Amino acid sequence: MSSIDGGKDLPRPAAAPARPGAPRHEVIATAQRAWLTYLGGMALAFLPFVAFINDAHWLNILALTYLMGGLAASWNIIGGFGGQFSLGHGVFFAIGAYSTAIFVTRWGVSPWLTMIPIAIFAACVAMLISWPTFRLRGPFFAIATLAFNEVAFVLANHAESLTGGPRGLSIPFKAGLANMIFRDRWAYALLMFAFVALVIALCVWLRRSRLGYYLLAVREDEDAARAAGINVLGVKLKGMALSAGLTAIGGTLFTMYLRYIDPPTLFTLPEVGVKFALLSLIGGIGTIWGPLLGAALIVPFENWLRSAYADSLPGLSLAILGLLMVLAALFMKRGVMGVIDDLLKRRRGKGAS
Amino acid sequence: MDIFFTVLVFGLLLGGIYGLVSIGLNLIFGVVRIVNFAQGELVMFGMYGGFFAWHWWGINPYLSVFLVAPLVGLLGVAIQRLVIQPLQHEPNMQIFATFGLLMLFQNLMLMVSRGEAYSVGGQVGSTVLTVGDLKLSLVRVVTLVAATLITIGLHLFLARTMTGKAIRAVTQDKRAARAMGINVEKTFLITFGIGAALAGMAGVLLTPIYSITPGVGGNFILAAFAVVVLGGLGSVWGAYLGGLVVGIVEAFAGFYIDPVLRSAVWFVIFLIVLVVKPSGLLGQVGAEEVGFREQH
Amino acid sequence: MRALKSWLAGLVALATLALAPAAQAQAPIKVGALNPYSGPLALYGTEVTRGYELAVDRLNASGGVLGRRFELIRGDVTSPQQGIATVEQLVTRDKVDLFVGTYISAIALTASDAAQRYNKLYWETNALAAQLTERGLPNFVRAGPDGPAFAAMSAAAVRELIAPALKKDMRGLTVWIESEDSIYGTQIAQVQRRILETFGAKIVGFGAHSARTVDLNDTVLRIRQANPDVLVQTGYVPDGNLLLRTLRDQGVKPGAILYVGTGDTPETLQALGEKYMDGILIVGYPRNDITEAFGPGAKAYLEAYRAKYKADPIAPQGMNAYTGFLILAETIKAANSIEPDKIQAAAAKLDKPEHSYPSGHGVKFDKNFQNLRAGLTVSQWQGGKLATVYPKLAVTPGVTLKPLARP
Repeated sequence: MSSIDGGKDLPRPAAAPARPGAPRHEVIATAQRAWLTYLGGMALAFLPFVAFINDAHWLNILALTYLMGGLAASWNIIGGFGGQFSLGHGVFFAIGAYSTAIFVTRWGVSPWLTMIPIAIFAACVAMLISWPTFRLRGPFFAIATLAFNEVAFVLANHAESLTGGPRGLSIPFKAGLANMIFRDRWAYALLMFAFVALVIALCVWLRRSRLGYYLLAVREDEDAARAAGINVLGVKLKGMALSAGLTAIGGTLFTMYLRYIDPPTLFTLPEVGVKFALLSLIGGIGTIWGPLLGAALIVPFENWLRSAYADSLPGLSLAILGLLMVLAALFMKRGVMGVIDDLLKRRRGKGAS
Repeated sequence: MDIFFTVLVFGLLLGGIYGLVSIGLNLIFGVVRIVNFAQGELVMFGMYGGFFAWHWWGINPYLSVFLVAPLVGLLGVAIQRLVIQPLQHEPNMQIFATFGLLMLFQNLMLMVSRGEAYSVGGQVGSTVLTVGDLKLSLVRVVTLVAATLITIGLHLFLARTMTGKAIRAVTQDKRAARAMGINVEKTFLITFGIGAALAGMAGVLLTPIYSITPGVGGNFILAAFAVVVLGGLGSVWGAYLGGLVVGIVEAFAGFYIDPVLRSAVWFVIFLIVLVVKPSGLLGQVGAEEVGFREQH
Repeated sequence: MRALKSWLAGLVALATLALAPAAQAQAPIKVGALNPYSGPLALYGTEVTRGYELAVDRLNASGGVLGRRFELIRGDVTSPQQGIATVEQLVTRDKVDLFVGTYISAIALTASDAAQRYNKLYWETNALAAQLTERGLPNFVRAGPDGPAFAAMSAAAVRELIAPALKKDMRGLTVWIESEDSIYGTQIAQVQRRILETFGAKIVGFGAHSARTVDLNDTVLRIRQANPDVLVQTGYVPDGNLLLRTLRDQGVKPGAILYVGTGDTPETLQALGEKYMDGILIVGYPRNDITEAFGPGAKAYLEAYRAKYKADPIAPQGMNAYTGFLILAETIKAANSIEPDKIQAAAAKLDKPEHSYPSGHGVKFDKNFQNLRAGLTVSQWQGGKLATVYPKLAVTPGVTLKPLARP
């Protein structure tokens, strides 16, 4: 196992999964191939932007899709790669959102300047609250993170002098690059695209890095990883810090896009904290492109459903969405990436293992 | 001192509600080991069942519970067989599926009720027992009593019957249980059925107290999960005591600190307990790390 | 000669054809109706839109406004992000000319802002947050009451109805103000406190609770300890009902109970029973039993609603929306345009006395384009029905204020 310290030349893991249902271990590609795939994928993701360049409605949905994709990909770092199913990422999202709004409205500081410090702050908070909770495994951990979300909601609602309480915080419209406020939807779409491109690039790098390898090891079998000498807690904390920091950046962008934040908007689980996990799941948890695919699948579809069924029985659109989610889970057990993976395997003639 | 006692009693009664709602979840969570987002909706169905039985046929919820709870139990069996079991190797996807069920169930009831809230009228909800200075709502007392009785019954069931022992075996180690000849799939089905029926029962018994809306399940679900984890997974008494503890803490926090902060207070305490004793109040020490091996 | 005749005939025909379009209707005014049509508040979103639909029916029956008929297009909004997306969609896809809405304040905030990017008017009829008008958006006008107006009516009810009924002076009247803890409840509660304090009342408690709370025993225990003369609650249906149930169970009996915004549904009556509900006061949008003097056209609204939807109105929010839409049409007519700046300019000049519309509204906008003459009333549960009891003009002859205390 000394090759773990080797760094760059990582051994190739077995092609067959260790147990049924475990994610497949891909052959780790060369750096060149990994980054070429990345560029190709991002170019593909950029196509809709070009196609809809004149349609504000679709640009808006695209912007939201990119943003949610980036947020889901950030979550995926600790939730997918690390196997720590956090449902409390709304907290870090809110830290990014509120901090940005406070700096903008109170002291007129540009969000570009505060974005990174806020992300670092969120990362620190994440490490602080995760350190005691990482002792918990699986669903226990998930529920503990739900508790964090709930506490944060109550605090945000109560700390009126800081967060505006139930009134929330409003950022007046002053267009300008320095303000990160744009008149045109394409500018937002571009900004969100840059965000998701950054996050996915980080994921590509992470996957090939030592930390990424350790995260995967921890996910697969924590005890074995520990036995192998990996500092499990340290790895989890680093993964969480990175994930939280990126999520906070997403929160910053969201705030400058919406320009109004209040506790319900930031802490409603199905819209935020849980959604990051859901998008990753349907796209393919633990994969690089899964989160973005999940977002591309769900966000526009959700929008279309709502507008198509606005005139019908209340709840019909979401009932359909719920049913489709169940069916999707049953028929795409490893998400969209899983389906793609199966198709490619069949093409190449390799049998499913 | 008088007020202190009153708050304590109200806390116990509230704890009875939490305990009742959590009992079914504890069973399901302990065995199937997934974060079942749809659990609150099973309670919701119980409530709607209790309401419709009263509204259409004038049946008292304390009677209709014998009709509604088994129906919700059957729904639970269906969910386990059709949704959870096929995904048994993809536990994270199970979570996704249960979330889909949550949306489906909530919005189905929204379509049915069109967003109108429902309430059961009549004597049941308004009867109050006077014990000395205390005025106790009959429904809440019954809820606490029911929670206690069910906990005892469940404990006996798990300890004495073969099926119960099978469930405990599966809870501890699925693979070993299978090796012992226990039909794990059937055990899962039974567990989910019982757990769902208990959730439905909780819903029916709570019908006289609350306004019934499609989202009402969501009011309980977070607390229920925390209670189950707090109490210690797999321990029937743990969930019961956990519920009482949460109820009491919430009542005191609400009265002596601030009603707005009450949920935050007990969640913080929940987190502290987890840090100090991660296996929960009555769970086996180290259970969450070693004892309960991953079930997938 | 025959050729000239047929040539002339053709010319006349052509001329007729050319003049005909001027007699045809112009393109309709497309109005985007933004409300929650899914989610827990779908009931109110639909009811409010029914108000719009009835207004559109009535206006179109007399040819619309500026020679154009109205056409309503629904936009479902259940979150602020969705507000933006739906506005984008309605503008680019459905080519709406202006917006009306919106039951939820947070959504109105973002949606109206998005509409401003397209320079489309946002005509608010129902959302209550004061900041909607206070932020001074150039495309925003609110025809209906705001949160502070509800608070003012609550305070008036305390002073004009409750204090005399309890035979107590305002100075020294003890009041407990309770609310749910979102922007809706907290804002109204804060203004209630401010106004009641200027009236001389003593606020012995100021409490908040989550609308989704499972238990209110601690709140009621505190109320019991404070022993107020009056209990004022602003919230939603589930928490409002739970509060009443808990008060009843614990035997806490304030001299008077005043509910703002809820407590007026058949379900509440079902839950608490006629005997308990009798005497409780509700501050809300004017109901269908108001006099024609207070709200001209209220009876006609009721009839039109019954005819079209084969049921009774679900909530008074609908008539308020109906009125708001009628005021919109008047403003468009006065401005001779649907452009926001012209609308605001015309709105600033409008001056119609109170009680000009079915909901008792008048029209007089303040500098932030908040209608200062929006109608509100106070009703009381009497014998299992709600009867309007204040202001005096709205009260049906023969209706009096019944005792306020709990049984």
